[in-house]
Amino acid sequence: MFRFDADRPVEFCDGTRRRDFLHAGALSMLGLTSTQFSALQAQGAVDQSKSPVNCIFLMLVGAPSQLDTWDMKPNAPAEIRGPFKPIKTNVPGIEISEFLPRMAKHADKYSIVRGMYHTAAAVHDTGHQMMQTGRLFQGGVEHPHFGCVLDKTQKLGRDVPTHVLLPRPIGNTGGNMPHGQNAGFLGKTHDPFVLNADPSDPNFRVPDMLPPDYLPSLRVDRRKNWREAIDRSVNRFENSQDARLLDSTFHQAYTLMTSQKAREAFELHRESEATRTRYGLNRFGQSCLLARRMVEAGVRFVTINMFETVFDETTWDIHGSRPFSPISCYQDLVGPMFDHAYASLLEDLHDRGLLKNTMVVACGEFGRTPKINPAGGRDHWPQCWSILMGGGPLKGGTLVGASDEIGAYPKDRPTTPAEVAATIYRGLGISLETELPGAQGRPIPIVDRGVEPIRELFA
Amino acid sequence: MKFLFALIFALQLSAANLSIYPPQVTLHHIEARHQLIAQGDDNGTQSDLTRLARWTSSNPAVASVDAAGKLTPLANGEVTIEATHNGLSARIPVRVDGMDKPFSWSFRNHVVPVLSKRGCNQGACHGALAGKNGFKLTLRGYDPDLDHEVLTKQSQSRRILVEDPERSLLLEKASFRIPHGGGQLLKKDSLEYRVVRDWIAAGALPSPANASPATEPEVVDIEVFPPSIRLAPNAEQQLLVRAKYSDGRWEDVTSWAKYTSNDEGIAQVDDATARVKLIGHGEASVSVWYASKVAYARLAVPYATPVDPQKFTSFPRRNYIDDLVLAKLRALNLEPSPLASDSMFLRRAYLDTIGALPTAEEAENFLADPSPDKRAKLVDHLLARDEFNDYWANHWSDLLLVSSRKLGPLGMRSFYQWIRDSVAANKPWDQFARDIFTASGSTRTHGALNYFVLHKDPIDITENVTQTFLGQRLTCARCHNHPLEKWTQKQYYQMANLFARVGVKNGEEPGENYIFAKPAGDVLHPRLLRPLPPAPLDGQALRLDDPSDRRHHFAQWLTSRDNASFSRNLVNRVWGNFFGRGLTNPVDDVRATNPASNEELFSALVKDFSTDFDVRRLIRTILLSGTYQLSSDPTPLNAADTKFLSHYIPKRLPAEVLLDSFSQVTGSPTAFDAYPAGTRAIQLPDVQVKSEFLNIFGRPKRIVCDAGERSSEPSVAQALHIINGETLNQKLLAPQSVAALYLKLGLSDTRTLEHIYLSAFSRFPTAEEKQRAQAMLTAARQSGSGPSALPSALIESRRQALEDLLWALLSSKEFLFNQ
Repeated sequence: MFRFDADRPVEFCDGTRRRDFLHAGALSMLGLTSTQFSALQAQGAVDQSKSPVNCIFLMLVGAPSQLDTWDMKPNAPAEIRGPFKPIKTNVPGIEISEFLPRMAKHADKYSIVRGMYHTAAAVHDTGHQMMQTGRLFQGGVEHPHFGCVLDKTQKLGRDVPTHVLLPRPIGNTGGNMPHGQNAGFLGKTHDPFVLNADPSDPNFRVPDMLPPDYLPSLRVDRRKNWREAIDRSVNRFENSQDARLLDSTFHQAYTLMTSQKAREAFELHRESEATRTRYGLNRFGQSCLLARRMVEAGVRFVTINMFETVFDETTWDIHGSRPFSPISCYQDLVGPMFDHAYASLLEDLHDRGLLKNTMVVACGEFGRTPKINPAGGRDHWPQCWSILMGGGPLKGGTLVGASDEIGAYPKDRPTTPAEVAATIYRGLGISLETELPGAQGRPIPIVDRGVEPIRELFA
Repeated sequence: MKFLFALIFALQLSAANLSIYPPQVTLHHIEARHQLIAQGDDNGTQSDLTRLARWTSSNPAVASVDAAGKLTPLANGEVTIEATHNGLSARIPVRVDGMDKPFSWSFRNHVVPVLSKRGCNQGACHGALAGKNGFKLTLRGYDPDLDHEVLTKQSQSRRILVEDPERSLLLEKASFRIPHGGGQLLKKDSLEYRVVRDWIAAGALPSPANASPATEPEVVDIEVFPPSIRLAPNAEQQLLVRAKYSDGRWEDVTSWAKYTSNDEGIAQVDDATARVKLIGHGEASVSVWYASKVAYARLAVPYATPVDPQKFTSFPRRNYIDDLVLAKLRALNLEPSPLASDSMFLRRAYLDTIGALPTAEEAENFLADPSPDKRAKLVDHLLARDEFNDYWANHWSDLLLVSSRKLGPLGMRSFYQWIRDSVAANKPWDQFARDIFTASGSTRTHGALNYFVLHKDPIDITENVTQTFLGQRLTCARCHNHPLEKWTQKQYYQMANLFARVGVKNGEEPGENYIFAKPAGDVLHPRLLRPLPPAPLDGQALRLDDPSDRRHHFAQWLTSRDNASFSRNLVNRVWGNFFGRGLTNPVDDVRATNPASNEELFSALVKDFSTDFDVRRLIRTILLSGTYQLSSDPTPLNAADTKFLSHYIPKRLPAEVLLDSFSQVTGSPTAFDAYPAGTRAIQLPDVQVKSEFLNIFGRPKRIVCDAGERSSEPSVAQALHIINGETLNQKLLAPQSVAALYLKLGLSDTRTLEHIYLSAFSRFPTAEEKQRAQAMLTAARQSGSGPSALPSALIESRRQALEDLLWALLSSKEFLFNQ
């Protein structure tokens, strides 16, 4: 199924006939037998009746200040409202910050959830966990990222990975905890494909995606077949998780290499200069452009980390002092970077008819203190913040919930990360009744019983 | 059916012995309550009979006991409490005193624990650094005096109304009579509500009327029962937690302690009732936190399938490691795998000990050696090899973060050289550590001193040294008492003050520094705003005006035989190198609440190691053990085990070792910028040396001391690099590669195959493998040549076939994994 030379008979030296090893392996590499897969289907975890919905998830690492972006308080005292002014959007009654003029033209394509809050410790890492898995990690259990759950429940057997993470995983944000960007207890076979390269680099390419010139496809294929034959004769690895993971990584690597579609999806140079510039010639902008290409090629879930760390990098984390960022960077750098990339992504998805089946979620891991601190910045504040959700089945142009006069607490319709998780799962067509196999086979529901999606976002 | 169920139930809880815990109890006041536990024991498997036993008191007028085993005092006196179950019985003496004395609830010993248990002072609520809604408590009540002041003096004292306790904001909010962001935390009819209300009614004093905050007894220790037991599958177990106070008395604090399971797939604990439900097989621990003290209970459930006793008796017992591993395997009913073959052991011991593969010749010789003690001889041979020094110098360079990033080339070189010289001289580990903390002078001549160039301020040194040499993460205690461990913020700043007088100044050469002891200087406690007497964590304090170099005091404490963490840290790191995971995991986390997979084994190793701190002897003990020499082939009965050492768990080769192994088997060395030809990856002193391969395969960056910096997890990027990348492909293609050599020597296919298998897998190919590989080569040759092919084309096609076969072997799991 992934052979370069499909018209040539495959020679097998052990005298056995070739069974479709890769295909037979594909499901088992997922850790799923076909009966388990059918069971998931029967449970409704796999809803194939409609055209599948994708999701592009923008993790705004560092945590944007609600008061300076999407929930401004122009009438609050100066030490609360901060240095920026609101502007009108194309939806009456919705105003956002002045440094986001392009996204202001598309407010009909996203809704703002203004009553987000969480109750865990106010460190970045906990927020990353909750916003990407719906849960705080406790008792040694690492929960899977939304995209990894999608890979487990709805893998479509396409040439491209189900879930791609751009450009790199979140690094150190101070808490020394996992960030919720991998498959956790589902096992690493469901981890996202991580780009690990900077798409704004002039020489950008996926490292080692193609064989070198001196290796004709005939030999690449021969090597692959021989390797499989050799591996099969040793069975001590059947129980080793790392060894099974190794098998699955080779399988994924060969799939990526042999698919023209997959290859081309990563070729950003196929985009015009004008398009590339429109997204912003920086890591985040080009990652968003790449995300659009990924979705076009069949990737179901794309996670983009806007930044890798909050230390010594200009980010949303505006404590106002070194090694963090000053509030002014929202206007000078971070805001425009987001505005261009996000607006361009919405425009392109819309123009290409992809927005109707692609959710776009943009969120930070918490909000920021309503009162400006002595360094002129704002500190961590998980009690209230705003996130952006739209596309796919999610309504645009709506305000969900509201904060109090100073953006300190939800005043109306408080919303938890678990509800965001339920919303994303519902949007992706994954039944909220789905149970995932945890450690020693203990079933773990994808969201806790009773957690509901954000109703206001569904038509 | 009903009868059958009852029978099974009764069988499950049959016991040969019954005992009550604790063995004696004294109830000191009218509010004292005490949980008792009736524990059954049947040949080492225990069961909690507390709720099934019949409880009686010899004098219910003095103390009564309810059906759940809970004691209530009624009058001063002495009674005997008896539990009976299925014809078994047990008795304990109980004393009641203090009933005639007035009692009032204590702020620090009762009210604060209530607030902690209900979560009021946790990080997400009022324990947050910024508090919540203007009300801030210290995290998990680490400073009761401050909490008392905040409750009674701030907010115009509306929080506490002594004249009308029920209308205190504290109670109105916590019981949700007034809306409260945290919800209802105290029910009006609960004991906890009564504790707070009665404390307020009695005057809301910082300590009871008959004591002062300075003399009031405080918690000095906690213990949990049972500390370690084996239970039947699906069993439940009640835990009992007792606190010991500074006046020597014990009290039951079960209901106010906090509980977490470290493995919810095996044991789940209900935080409200302290009942544990076992849902899997294996061993889990429940950690207990009360008043900044921690303890844990270990609960094991044996695997269900019966094991042939012969499997245990045939276990290769070579030294004490094996006795203790075997005991654990028996307890958990886990079958050990048989002894590894010679070739498996040979390859494994080379890779784990010197980070290199045996050559084909070494493998052939070892396999041919008929002497019965050849494994022991091999171990001694490896310990004496120079590659041993390269491998372990690299290991400790990871630990000490050797890199030119901050040190520059000169510092990096001298730091590395000191480490490598220490390994080569087999410097005892205590002396190794003392070299860092007792020397002064030039970083060029005293390489160890580069430690203080990497870690310049006392905070950084404090946090790094505890991680590097004690395997503990102390960072939490920088801002408040450690929420999970026993370390307090005071201890943190006393420790930091040990490093307040480390001076660093520029040396004569660029990159050279001088480290010296400054005559003055202190680190201030951030809340008390004064320096505290310098003291190593739980060691003796120095006087603030003591003129000696404070680092010497630290070094003495650090390397003392009594400092168990120092040895545990090292033993665990060395153990992790050989077994892929530490006795506590992760390998750099030996804190008190992270229990070992085999504590008896861990303690024995630590005791042995701390007699001489001889790292090489420790390695030798491990290598010679039967445990290390078990096969990595799992049996159907032990395949699920990943931590009790029933078989060796395969692990991917570390980045440097894998690269060197590729070089060795292909005969094509790797070139590194600015390093002499022939330098192996494991010999690189600096992680700043450019290597795409090493980065992709998880070389650590050596920025923070964290074992997680090195990754051995397979990734798609690694697969792509092996398939398409320039590393392995170029090695196979190189003119001097082993493929060229085979052709040049004109080796037969058979001998070529044997040589490849010996150099890659340290074994001969099986007949089947030979036949298969021969068929591959033949077919490849035929496909690359027609009847009219030129000889050069024939040679080329033969070479390509060899390259491809080598590639297939070198990318196979048997090669990429140490097994």
